[in-house]
Amino acid sequence: MTKLMKLLFITLIVVSVSGCTAIHSTINATGRNIAAFLRTPRKIENKITDPYLPAARLAVLWIGHATVLIQIDDKIILTDPNLMNTVGQFSKRLVEPGIDPENLPELSAVLISHMHIDHLSPASIDLICEKIHQLLIPQGGMVYIPDFAFSIDELAEWQTWEKDGLRITAVPAVHNGWRYGLDGAWMKTSFTGYLIEYNGIKVHFAGDTAYDRDLFIRIGERFPDIDLTLVPVAPIHPREYSKARHTDPAEAIQIFQDLKADFLTPIHFDTFAESADTLGEAVSILRKEISAKGLADNQVVILEHGEQYTYLRQEPSQVAGN
Amino acid sequence: MLKYKRILQNGIPGFLLLITVYTAPSLAQDNAPQISPTWLWGAAQLVPSPQWVTKDPGLRFGLRWQVTPVLYSFGLNHRVNRWRFLVVEPLARQNGSLEFYISPEYLDLGHSAKDHWLVRGGLRAYFPIYRYGEYVSGSFSPAIYSYQDKQGISYEAGVYFFFGILGFQATYAPALETGRWIFTIRLRYF
Repeated sequence: MTKLMKLLFITLIVVSVSGCTAIHSTINATGRNIAAFLRTPRKIENKITDPYLPAARLAVLWIGHATVLIQIDDKIILTDPNLMNTVGQFSKRLVEPGIDPENLPELSAVLISHMHIDHLSPASIDLICEKIHQLLIPQGGMVYIPDFAFSIDELAEWQTWEKDGLRITAVPAVHNGWRYGLDGAWMKTSFTGYLIEYNGIKVHFAGDTAYDRDLFIRIGERFPDIDLTLVPVAPIHPREYSKARHTDPAEAIQIFQDLKADFLTPIHFDTFAESADTLGEAVSILRKEISAKGLADNQVVILEHGEQYTYLRQEPSQVAGN
Repeated sequence: MLKYKRILQNGIPGFLLLITVYTAPSLAQDNAPQISPTWLWGAAQLVPSPQWVTKDPGLRFGLRWQVTPVLYSFGLNHRVNRWRFLVVEPLARQNGSLEFYISPEYLDLGHSAKDHWLVRGGLRAYFPIYRYGEYVSGSFSPAIYSYQDKQGISYEAGVYFFFGILGFQATYAPALETGRWIFTIRLRYF
């Protein structure tokens, strides 16, 4: 055995018994990712082919990860579109996207929360570019958005974009704006959450964020009566690394309560093999937290990939009038 | 040799002037990120790319470093500044660009320093092949090299993966007696 092999062997033994959570988590994540590359993404049976619901005032279809199709009356908004089979060739998709791209309706706005490769996928945008009317990105993010035919605007913190009654405001998040790592030195502003308003309905999309009590209380005060918040619940592990970047299920519920929103729907879990979490772990912990906090069953709506849920419906007379 | 010096003295500055005039509107944009070299960037540039040079018979090992004094990206959004100096993001480079580069190279040939060190400078055109070049991109580059007190022209082609971090380059230098072909596994981060 060469010296190098001996060193590698000893290192592995030390790592195995050291209890170093971060290294364990990295090894676990790598192992899961390699295993996932050998499998095809899980199929979704009976995918929705026409997601527009005439009777809905507020409906959401979870496509997977942070990709969410939001319908508020006649406006359709898509968040962080990622329809690829991998995240930048590194992390394999575990479940196929919850809708086929050709079945997406015309999109009033597409929101990009930050530049990470699992949230900004130019190839995914390319797939659906003919349906996009407006792309909104955080301040400083234009440098990673190639030229497209549709309108693209950067939003600074608290800046609002508005068209035909649809108002979208960039709200603070606790994350980072780099795409390749080293660019974190200058990509200091290119991450955000969004607050979507239309016809009196308000939806908060948290993007990727860590928990900051004051910040979310401030958002709740500035935008009272939020109907729905979409908050990430993973990656959970390794917590000592993730805590500064990602909310876990307990923190997601805390954001929901700080905002005083009516509904919470968790996102950003069980879609790509990109963390050390086990499948179903985030939802399992979330259910325990819901129970521990004494929340009502219908306050936290946990969607399956490809599942669509209507939070608010039109009055029957309005439907008849449509 | 004089011919190559003239190309260096007139051709490259002339070319850069042409690009400057063509792209002047984008220089006026004020929303360019404040990119500047960092210690981490400097450390990343010190990582050499392994390469193998042909020497009859067989191959000899070598190492290659590369620096980009200036690059113009065709692949960035027209609303941002497309010029880059030294520090170049993968999308800016791999999604279509033209870069002026300088490359010192160590070759395991001969016994003296002048046998070991080759320097080349050239213009490299990158073009995206798949997914905005972040997944797969290609390049072509004519360059002028200096080796053992002689200058000549070389031609290089490359293909790149994983945001341009991993690439394979093949260089053909027709005038070199030894080292006519150089095969490089290019490792580059920014």
